[in-house]
Parts: sequence; C-alpha cells; structure tokens
Amino acid sequence: MSSKKESGQELIVSRQVLSIPQRFSTGPVMGRFLRELRDNQRIMANKCPQCGRHQLPPREVCALCHVEATEWEELGPEGTIRDFDIVYYSSPDPLTGETRETPYVLCWAELDRTQGDAPLWHLLDAPDLSKVRRGLRVRVVFAEERNGTMADIKHFEIIK
Amino acid sequence: MTNRVPSKRRVAICAVAQTKFEACKWNVRMQGMLWEVVDSVRRQTDLRFGEGSIEAAVTVSDDLFDARTISDGAITDVVGAHYQSEEKVAADGAQGVYYAAATILSNRHDIVLLAGHCKESQSASRNRITHLAFDPFYTRPVGLDYLAAAALQARAYMARTGVTETQLADLVVRARRWARHNPVAQEAGALTRDEVLAAPMLADPIRESFTYPVSDGAIAMILANEKHARDITDRPVWMTGVGSCYDSFFLGERDLAGNFPLERAAKRAYTMAGITDPANAFDVVEIADQYAHQLPQYAEGLGLYEAGKGGKWLDNDGPEKHNVNRSGGMLAGNPLILGGMARVAEAVIQLRGDAGSRQAPNAKRALAQGATGPAGQLQTVVVLER
Amino acid sequence: MNSKNRDVAIIGCGMSKFSSHREEVNQPEMIHEAVVEALQDARLAMDDVDCVLHGNMELFEMVHQPDMWHVLGSGAWGKPGIRLTTGGTTGATLACAADNLVASGLHDVVLAIGFEKLQEGHATGGITNMADPLWGRSLQTGALTGTAAQKLIEQFGEERAKHAAMKMRVIMDENAMRNKKAHRRLRLDREHMKETVASSPPLVGELRMIHMCSQSDGACAVIFASEEKVAQCGSNPAWVVDHETVHREETLIFNAGKSTQRVAAERLFARNGITDPVREIDVFEMYDPSAWWGVEWLGEFMLCDGDEHLRMVEEDTIAIDGEFALNPSGGVQASNPIGATALVRVAEAAMQIRGTAGDHQVARPVGRALASGFGGTLWTVLMLLSKEKP
Repeated sequence: MSSKKESGQELIVSRQVLSIPQRFSTGPVMGRFLRELRDNQRIMANKCPQCGRHQLPPREVCALCHVEATEWEELGPEGTIRDFDIVYYSSPDPLTGETRETPYVLCWAELDRTQGDAPLWHLLDAPDLSKVRRGLRVRVVFAEERNGTMADIKHFEIIK
Repeated sequence: MTNRVPSKRRVAICAVAQTKFEACKWNVRMQGMLWEVVDSVRRQTDLRFGEGSIEAAVTVSDDLFDARTISDGAITDVVGAHYQSEEKVAADGAQGVYYAAATILSNRHDIVLLAGHCKESQSASRNRITHLAFDPFYTRPVGLDYLAAAALQARAYMARTGVTETQLADLVVRARRWARHNPVAQEAGALTRDEVLAAPMLADPIRESFTYPVSDGAIAMILANEKHARDITDRPVWMTGVGSCYDSFFLGERDLAGNFPLERAAKRAYTMAGITDPANAFDVVEIADQYAHQLPQYAEGLGLYEAGKGGKWLDNDGPEKHNVNRSGGMLAGNPLILGGMARVAEAVIQLRGDAGSRQAPNAKRALAQGATGPAGQLQTVVVLER
Repeated sequence: MNSKNRDVAIIGCGMSKFSSHREEVNQPEMIHEAVVEALQDARLAMDDVDCVLHGNMELFEMVHQPDMWHVLGSGAWGKPGIRLTTGGTTGATLACAADNLVASGLHDVVLAIGFEKLQEGHATGGITNMADPLWGRSLQTGALTGTAAQKLIEQFGEERAKHAAMKMRVIMDENAMRNKKAHRRLRLDREHMKETVASSPPLVGELRMIHMCSQSDGACAVIFASEEKVAQCGSNPAWVVDHETVHREETLIFNAGKSTQRVAAERLFARNGITDPVREIDVFEMYDPSAWWGVEWLGEFMLCDGDEHLRMVEEDTIAIDGEFALNPSGGVQASNPIGATALVRVAEAAMQIRGTAGDHQVARPVGRALASGFGGTLWTVLMLLSKEKP
C-alpha cells in the first residue's frame, strides 16, 4: 500500500464586495457652502467672530477659539497657489471606481481676502506642467452642471 | 482576578448633556450635533479648553456607522482637541466612561471631556453594519446581524425562564410611559399592550416594538478628579465601581440565556464599590435594553433578583421597585453605541436630582450598564454615587 | 503635568511576521501569533493578563467591532477590554491607554493589541474615505503628497534634499535587512542610490514608490505591567516615562502652523528635562510613512532649526551603529500594518531598551528610547521609555 503525500493545503479565499448606501447630512454650515456653489457660483467661507479667521471647508466651530463660526464672507474667485502636487499615480474615486488621467495637478490656493490658513484644495487645469509654481495666480472655474457638491467646482485655471 | 481599588484618587462626573434623540437628525451633521452637547457641558461648568482646564477629550464613535475612516477626525475642533489630546473609544459609550475615568485615576489628567455621537439614520440599514461584525467565513454567510443574534438570545432566555411575550410587551408600554417624562427621549408616544403585540415580527420572537428604534444623537460629559470636581460643581457624582467583560464570539459557544460576561463585569464593579447585596444596593438602575427581553435578562445578570426568577420579578413590579430605566431606556431611543453612555447620563441626572417628573426619590447610588457586540458579548457596568 | 499614580513598564512584546499577503492566517489567527509571542517574552500566561486593549482601522477590513470576532485570538474571553481607534496613531494610542489603565490602579497587567490585514481590504480606498464625503473625498489620493519633498528641496536645494531622502531610505532598508519580521527588505545599496531613485516610478511630485511605506498585514502585542507586578516577576522592564498626544483640526494642509511633531516633542522634552534630545536619547522609533517625511520630521522631533537633521542623515548619525539610531527595525518604510504600526514603534523602542531586538539590536546600552505615532489629519503621539525606573 503506497501513501500519497499531500503537497500543500489549498487556500480558500472568500471574495465579498460590501456596500452600504449612505445619506450624509450637510448641516446648516456645509449645506450653505454647497448651495452657494450650486446656485450662485460663489465660494463662501465662514469666519470666527473672535479671531477673524476664515474656514474652508466651513465648519461649525473655530478650532482655535472654540466658538461657533457664525459670520460668512465670499472669498476669491481668484487666488494664489500656495502648494501643489503633481499626481502621477491616480487612486480610484471611492464612489465611482474611476481613476483620473495622469499626470494631473492638485493645488492649495489661497483665495483673495482669506484671513488665516484656509487654502482651497482642488484640481488645477495645467496643460503645461512646467508653468506650475508657488505664487501662480489662479481662478476658480465652476462646472456647467452643478448639484451642490464639490464637483460644482470644475478646477482652478491659471490666470494669464 | 479582581480590580484593585485605586489608591488616593477619586473620579467624578460633573456635568452631562444629551441631544434629544431622534429618528433622523437630517438638519445637522455630526459636528453640529456634537457641538450642541459639548458647548452645553462647557457652559454648565464654566470651563475652557486648554491646559489647566479641559486638557483632553475621550470620544466615542464608530467608523462604520459614520461611514468615514477615523471619524473622530471630523470633530477634533468640536471637542477642543486642536493641538491637544483626543483618544477615541470605538465601542459602547459606557466603555468611554471607563477609559475617561482611567485617564483621571492614573493622574494623567485632571479634567476630561467625554463626547459620543452616532447617526444611525445615515446608513441605509444598521443591520447591514452589524452584519459585518460577524466573521466572513462562518457566521456572516448565514446572515447573522445583531438583531438575529438578539432574537436567538431572546428565544433561549424566554424558553429557560418562562418570561412571556406579554410580559415583554408590558415593559415596552412602561418604557413609553417613563419616556414621556424624559425631554430627550425619542419614542414617548403611549402604546397599549395590544398595539405592542400587533407590531410586525422582525426576527422571531423580536417584534419591531421590542426593538430599540433607529436613533441619532450625541452625549457629552465632564469628568474630573476630586479636587477639581469640587470646584466645578456642588453635586459631583462619583464613579465608585466599574467593570467589563468579554464573552466568546461564536453564539453556539455561549450560554445565550445566561449572563456570563455581565456577571463578571458586575462582580468587578461591585467589588470595587464595596457592594455585596446588589438587589438592595441601588436607588436607580439603568439597563441598556436594546431589545425588551434584555431588561429582565440583564437585571438578572446584575443580581437584582434571584437567578431564573425573571418572570416573577416582572409580575411583582420588579422594574418599578428597582427604579429601572426611568429614562425610558434604550427602547425609548438611543443609537447602539451610545446606549451605555445614555444609561450613565441618566444615572448622573438622577443622582444630581435633575430628573424632574421622573426623579427617583432620595437617589444616592445608581447602577448603569452598557453592552457592545452580538447579544451583549461585551458588558460594561458602572456604579455611581453621590 | 501631575506625577503618575504608579509606574508602568513594558515587560513583553510580540509581533506576527509582516508581509503583503498573510493569506495562510485569518485575522484572529494572525493576532494570536503576536499574543503568544508577547506572553512568552513576558513569561506570563493569558491568566495573568487582566485587561485586553484592541485597535485597528476598521474601514480597511470592513469588520464591525472586530474585537468581538478576535476574542478567538486575543485571549480577551472572560476579561475586561477596551477598543480604541485613532487611525494611524492607533497603536500609539493603545500604548498610552495601556499606560493610563495600569497607572490608574484599575488593572495590573494590560495586553495591547494592534493589527491590520490590509490585504483583506482596499488600503488606499480606506484612507481616501478619511476625507469628508462632502469635501475632499473625490480628490484625496490616499496619504500621498509631494509637498514634503518640495519643502525640503526649496530649503536645501534639489541635490542635497534628494540625496538625504534616498540615504534615509537606504539606511531604513539596511536596518530592515536585519529584522526577520520586516515586510520589505529590498537589499538597497548605497552605491546605486541615485539610479534606484531615478528608476522608481513617481507617485506625487518627487515622492516616488521607493520612498513610500509599504502596505502590510500584521499584528503587534505589547504587555504593560504595574511596578508591583514588575517587582514580583523580576522581568526585564522598559519603563513608560511619559507620553504626549497632539491632534489637529481636520483640514489637510501641509506646512500650516507648527507641526504636531514639533509641539509634541517640545512639550514632552520640557516636562522631562530633556534639552539635547539627540544626545539624551539613544534610539528613536519614528513613524515614517515616507523617506521624505522621515527626513523632515527628524528635524521636527529633534527641534532642529538649521540643517542638523540633514547632517544627521548625511553623516550616518542615524545609522544603527550611529549616535542616535533611527528605526533600527527598518521603520514604517519597511513594514506598515497600519493599526499595529504605531504600537510596533513602541514595542521596538522597548525591545532596544530591554536588549531583545536580536539582529537589529543597537550595540550601545540604551537608556532612553522614543517612539512616535502618526495618523489622522497630521496627528502625533509621542512616547518616552527608559531603562531606569522614573
């Protein structure tokens, strides 16, 4: 009687795709910001009544002063690039699974009239990557079709 | 293995605030919801954020319920943790009380903000979330979630003790009655026994009316050491005992009708607080009844009456005599992970004499219990005293 | 800050092997590896542990309340325990929590467990979901940014900055080659550094694949004990001296205000009378998600004002036989099981003090060691350990 040696154990792998639909409340603060994008093509930041700093994204509370940031002001639509990232490796959008064509540019632009550290972070339309630098003047471009999401901002364009 | 009583130090809860619990707080996001209670406790105590005052935050939230990785990242500013410490407990809020107390008993902090939040309404189904607590290979494929696990527990408990569906229905009626006296309770509409029994069956024997409702809300507390507590408030509530305990994971390995983890957790808390006769030690008892059968079941585990005699305890008005869940309990509405914290909050309110028309007279010592996991796999017990 | 209610020491450490695919174990089995090793290291049985802490980043594996299932491997059955999760800093928060719980007198022996099985989820997706769904979620590129590289290049010039980042990477790999548990051991060599960088695909700006930390599966378990217990067991303790946690609001703005690394270091050092950290501390296990951040944060943690941190890299001060050994384990660039990573830093720092780091043990006696955690919106947790009882 011969015995047969097992060469190894088969690993069973279980594949599952998990998805739980969500309905996120925007609340009065973020809600206002998104409504202004959609309806008025304006960037509205809220402002701390105590230290006067602007907040983008608008948030209920000023982290420095611990009071509600109740005042609102329009910023931009022009601004200055403070920092930027040239992205060569695109991670998939968590909702759509799509990846952007690379390379693309993300930038933090300080919109005109901003008080404090509140750059707006978004895509930069930059066909010529060599032109991208700190200090570049840019302008917000809104999307044609707007639904009250960050995608209502299409990207920043470089001001010639 | 017993807890050692920490030497020299005591920890007190100095203030609590709760939002009204609601089925869907669509008009606020978690930041605004939490700010309401954080700002409230800060005003109540006249404290500020920063060294020498509220130096740290312990938060309670759950990334899956929030659908956001590191969801405490959204509320750093709300809890005053910008350039300060914040540590998140991702379990039932009574565990948050446990940990926040430890940070004070260790002498690391003098004053700590404890803040918890959850919006169960945000996801399409909380059952889909609790379904994910089950392992991907063995228990998840059979479709288990916390509701199904509780149903197995309920069936086992009712079979062993003879507690009937009618008796549980009366508990729901009672919960609504007390909830009417609690301004933050979600479900305070009166129900008759027949209405409760006519509710649709969700998972036999659990009817919709026997289940804690889908709920949104937030709770904040201020904890402090003795020296500071006496400065902050004239009515500090001392945490004199705390204990928790895990059961096994596979439901088949557990005595679902019994109370193994709760008995151990309670024993730890009672030993620490010097309690030898729990049936007669407490003026107020708050039990996290996610499902109606858990009220008598956990009351047994807490030692409020002789083991196995749940039916008799209910028939003899046990919940009234022990002042159980004058808040309305979880049946009146708390999100899953805030259940235990809401129990502690109510205990504090009762001990401070702030419970209005639901006030238990001469409340000096209270018991609060919270549960995390399938069929109460992790139990937490807190003893509080004036 | 007040003095602790009682002192706490680390008496046992355990780790699973870190790898990209631990397919032959499930989550509780992987945790069990680390727990068993920690108990053996501490010469304790599970019965001796009276509280089990647990943490990870749950949205990676999408398991709700994983501590429930993991009771199978964590030993928490019948015991108290608490679950804490603070993103990338989770492991360090678990260490701080263990310290607080033992110091409080509530428990004598606490087992802290951090783990991640990144292969069982989508790591970049998990990190992307950190962003506010209403704000940056569709823009976020996981944890990748080239701004750190840009900043160093502007400060020190392209050649010097790039060289420092690459040298940092190589030193980390040299250390990883000595660490049997490490995930990525690339055998990088100093001679061909420039070519290695040039041929590595760029991710964002000057941040290239070679600079970036790995995505690993792994678990780490560390046992904390009270001073009474330490005296009883006669174990080889690494004392927890102090820790500092510094969070920041949710905006992901790099280079805004003082870094939490610098603030944490300033506070911790001031409280403990440390005025010259490079000289007064022997080993630093730093949470370095990328070689670029490694260089930048070396400067932040050591409170450098000029180019001291670059010189530390250039002159091999941070090498394993240098004056200030950095990540003798190979650091996060070698292994990154996110929920465990920050706890691994604490464990590795403790191992250096206790002399149990084997092939990656620093040769000099280690009196003081520092461990850092990083995560969230640029948060820092910093812990100081010592050989002598505080």
